[in-house]
Amino acid sequence: MNGHGIPARAGIGLRPPHYRQLLDELPDIGWLEVHSENYFCDGGQPLYFLERLRRHYPVSLHGVGLSLGSTDALSCDHLERLARLIDRVEPALVSEHLSWSSVGGRFYNDLLPLPYTEEALALVCRHVDEAQDYLGRQLLVENISSYLQFAESTLPEWEFVAEVARRTGCGILLDVNNIYVSSVNHGFDAARYLRSIPRACVREIHLAGHDHNGRCLIDTHSARVAEPVWALYREAVARFGRVPTLIEWDTDLPPLAILLDEAAIADRILADTTMENRHVLAA
Amino acid sequence: MSSLRELQLKFVATLLDPAGNYAAAHVIDRAIPAQERIGFYRNNVLANFRQTLRAVYPVIERLVGEHFFDRAADRYMRVHPSASGDLNRFGEHFADFLETWPPARELSYLADVARLEWLVEASFHAGDRGSLRPEDLAAVPPDRQALLTFDLHPACRLLVSAYPIHRIWLVNQPHAPGDAAVDLAQGGVFLLVRRCGHEVAIETLGHGEFCMLSLFAAGRNFDEALRYAVSVQPDFDVAAFLQRHVIGGTFTGFDWPLSCGDETAQGDSQRPLAAAA
Repeated sequence: MNGHGIPARAGIGLRPPHYRQLLDELPDIGWLEVHSENYFCDGGQPLYFLERLRRHYPVSLHGVGLSLGSTDALSCDHLERLARLIDRVEPALVSEHLSWSSVGGRFYNDLLPLPYTEEALALVCRHVDEAQDYLGRQLLVENISSYLQFAESTLPEWEFVAEVARRTGCGILLDVNNIYVSSVNHGFDAARYLRSIPRACVREIHLAGHDHNGRCLIDTHSARVAEPVWALYREAVARFGRVPTLIEWDTDLPPLAILLDEAAIADRILADTTMENRHVLAA
Repeated sequence: MSSLRELQLKFVATLLDPAGNYAAAHVIDRAIPAQERIGFYRNNVLANFRQTLRAVYPVIERLVGEHFFDRAADRYMRVHPSASGDLNRFGEHFADFLETWPPARELSYLADVARLEWLVEASFHAGDRGSLRPEDLAAVPPDRQALLTFDLHPACRLLVSAYPIHRIWLVNQPHAPGDAAVDLAQGGVFLLVRRCGHEVAIETLGHGEFCMLSLFAAGRNFDEALRYAVSVQPDFDVAAFLQRHVIGGTFTGFDWPLSCGDETAQGDSQRPLAAAA
């Protein structure tokens, strides 16, 4: 089954400024994740480093451009380029977002929110089915952070996410920072969100830093993981067990050592939880 | 039209037109007004597009300044909307846009500088191929040499400009002193953009040299290319050209047409491997 090869440890997002140091030092981290589209190229430096690092670390491909929630058809060109990259890199996991970024042939290249309706659910499930059929493998879908809610929504987001996984057999990439950001922005109970997600579906967890723009929380991937997000992560690990966990950082990228430090914190939480579970089992 | 499609079309209309109010009625505005919430997305989208262009066109930004660059970027994303989920394709038409955008009309060299920056980006991400092996070329029978065609390396790109864009590019690199002047009257330039290892290099070419490579890129053979190169540059040095581009890795391979006569004449001799893998 897909997913084998990613250890139940923390990994980090691979970004170009860290290519050389990672390859020279091969630090003890569980795995690496990249944004798929940045490796859709034919060759050159990005693929050179990805292929070499792939010999030392399992890799996950994380897409931002498939636009699963768009009322446009999925792009065959995009799927074909993703399929080629999958052949080349042999990733352990392939993921995308539960959002839309295009309509009428125009792309806005952002993770735009959906109304959580039966119509949107049917559309997303059709697109996830198409993508999984095309790629011949399971896709993970990630919950996004959002700054607005549509009046049309008839389902809470957690039910929408769980139902997509139930209907399509896709896995869930649970972004704990996104749950926290949206729970603050929209005033829902983050713990309830976690409890509504089926245990067996969660194949990967994302952690990242966020920012406050004075009005609401913004998912910036520009800082260390915030303390309330670590607390929510502990709850998530208690519920979902030892799930591969990624430290994402995109804006104001810090030295590699900071990312490794964040990953080490996640690794300790994963290890502690196992100890707690053992304790519970022994008792 | 489905209600979801209608909502998505209204939402993007509101992203593009801050004064429009098309999607606000669909957004719950508890605590923060709907228009402000949609504005968070508008800011993200615009900043993302600007940042994408900025990363590919740093020399253009240095030439026109941050404010002018942002104006150009905001207009560009409307005239040439992103057509792919791969943001790396977004800047492809920026040079064509700058050529016709009225505020940039007086900066006649700007579009060619943008073309150069796009080719640098394209070369950086181009495919990896081995170079032609000189010993394979040396094995070509002398009477076949005129018919040779050459394959340019995918990372090699050619550009001609009526402006000294190479010098403009050089003096606007991050560590170049900011006071260097470029005399536009110094005239045009023929350029080869290529990759050395993972780094992109820009090399100047002679007129004949440029014609040779352009004709090879168009599939013309050695004889046709050489005749044209000599016609534009009578002192064209073909030996120096071969030395530079065969040894220098401009080509990945070569080929020549195999006619029926060749097969009987050459019998069992096999063609040298065309693509030096």
